[in-house]
Amino acid sequence: MKFQRDVYIAGVGETDFKRQKTDFDALGRQAAFQAIKSSNIDKPDIIQSAYVGNATNGLVTGQTVFTSLGMCGHMPIINVESACSAGGMSVYCAIKDVATGLTDISIGVGTENHSMHRASGSAFSPAMTDIETMHGAVMTGKYALRARRYMYETGATIEDLALITVKNRKHAANNPHAWFKGDISVEEVVNSRMVAYPLTLQQCCGISDGAGAVVVCTKEMIKKLGIEKPVKVNGSVVRSGPYHNRPRDITADDITEATAEQLYEESGIGPEDVDILEVHDAFTIAELLYYECLGLCKKGDGLKFLRDGQATYGGQCVVSPRGGMLSYGHPIGASGAAMIASQVKQLRGECNGYQVDPIPKIAMTHVTGGGLSGTEHAACTMHMLSAAW
Amino acid sequence: MAETKKKGKKKEKEPDIVFFHPDLFEVPEDGSAPFLKGYRCKKCNQIDFPKISPCPNCWGEEFEMVALSREGTVYSATDIYIGQAGMETPYVFGYVDLPEDLRIFAQFEADVETINCGDKVEVVEGIIRMNNDGLPLKSYKFKKINE
Repeated sequence: MKFQRDVYIAGVGETDFKRQKTDFDALGRQAAFQAIKSSNIDKPDIIQSAYVGNATNGLVTGQTVFTSLGMCGHMPIINVESACSAGGMSVYCAIKDVATGLTDISIGVGTENHSMHRASGSAFSPAMTDIETMHGAVMTGKYALRARRYMYETGATIEDLALITVKNRKHAANNPHAWFKGDISVEEVVNSRMVAYPLTLQQCCGISDGAGAVVVCTKEMIKKLGIEKPVKVNGSVVRSGPYHNRPRDITADDITEATAEQLYEESGIGPEDVDILEVHDAFTIAELLYYECLGLCKKGDGLKFLRDGQATYGGQCVVSPRGGMLSYGHPIGASGAAMIASQVKQLRGECNGYQVDPIPKIAMTHVTGGGLSGTEHAACTMHMLSAAW
Repeated sequence: MAETKKKGKKKEKEPDIVFFHPDLFEVPEDGSAPFLKGYRCKKCNQIDFPKISPCPNCWGEEFEMVALSREGTVYSATDIYIGQAGMETPYVFGYVDLPEDLRIFAQFEADVETINCGDKVEVVEGIIRMNNDGLPLKSYKFKKINE
């Protein structure tokens, strides 16, 4: 989006991600209140608009989150759904309000409780009205098709893919918000239960519950609130996935490539300048493909990038410093907002035990959303953030 | 009346012979080989599968059905061990590229670990899942061509 004025992040919040008995509204409220308080806001009527991303928990989810914060009545609350992109998209909407002058301060929240609202034991699929769904499509299988083709074309092995899980779990080892974390071996990843060949259980994001929230505002508001470490939003892009029923390269990702290109152009920041990245690593293969799609390395060099340590501490760009979806699990409506929250904390040097060193200056987030016949993904949301103090 | 109802035998449900979408697939009654149905836009000549109306290319609204090639090449395939709710696993699906420059998502009539990128396959009629009554639902599938 073209910003008509500068937009900053005042404060963020994130809950722990794991299987929880707390419902989506309480999780959302916890993250939102944390973001509000860390923005030095002490009254319920300061924020001027709110967007709440959620995918599966029902109707008027945003109002349900904000009612007991006493924040319903004075402001519009808009509920945002775009499957896995919903949380990122809610932050995009809040940014849009501030960037266009509609508000001076807004909040974007992503929240989801999967485990209380969904019986486990089956895989996610797109809508039942979809032809592919009718023929048995599940999201794990669609990523497995990408993995299978990537392996066919490059000679990559399951052991190669497993390296992504090993890396991300290591990044999350000391992150209190992450669910699955710490040492896991390539053998353990490869030998875990097969879900959709070649993706084993430990290569798939868990079904978890959680929330993230981001308060965005103008420069004047940052001063008024007395925020010491404002983070600048250098770019915010949402795109819809192009439709194809024709042969295409699924080891690439048209929607991610287009969204990234637009983000780099609008922010004036290129992939070589990005210090940390949270990417849609719902499955190991996804992160590997996205190194290439986002231009962190050349097409076909994803494996080399990983093996050379370019995606971890001391490398070109630390990918998934919080541990990614492979460590957090993926409460679909929550993830996009939680990614942004955790990146802001990295830029501020607040991630004790899992802080990227030296403290990063530029952070990027990427989250796709859903699947349909003929699209790799229905939506993609990306953000570029930088330290502004 | 009530007595009759109690005694009345519940009618057995017939297998569901209706394809879930009649625009997709044709199994000729004369026993000739089944085929997928492509749709050529009369305005811009683009062929689509499945039928999309209006034509996403030119918004034309008139189409001519064309029988698509029965044989294609596997672009990618996977074995599904954890599938959709209610679907028996494992099952195998993937993408098949047809000479009409179309890519078809389909289940394979195949055992796991038998379908690979680059395999030649042909379209057949098969059972893709059970319907809501627990009866078999038929549609198109692809099967490896024995070379």
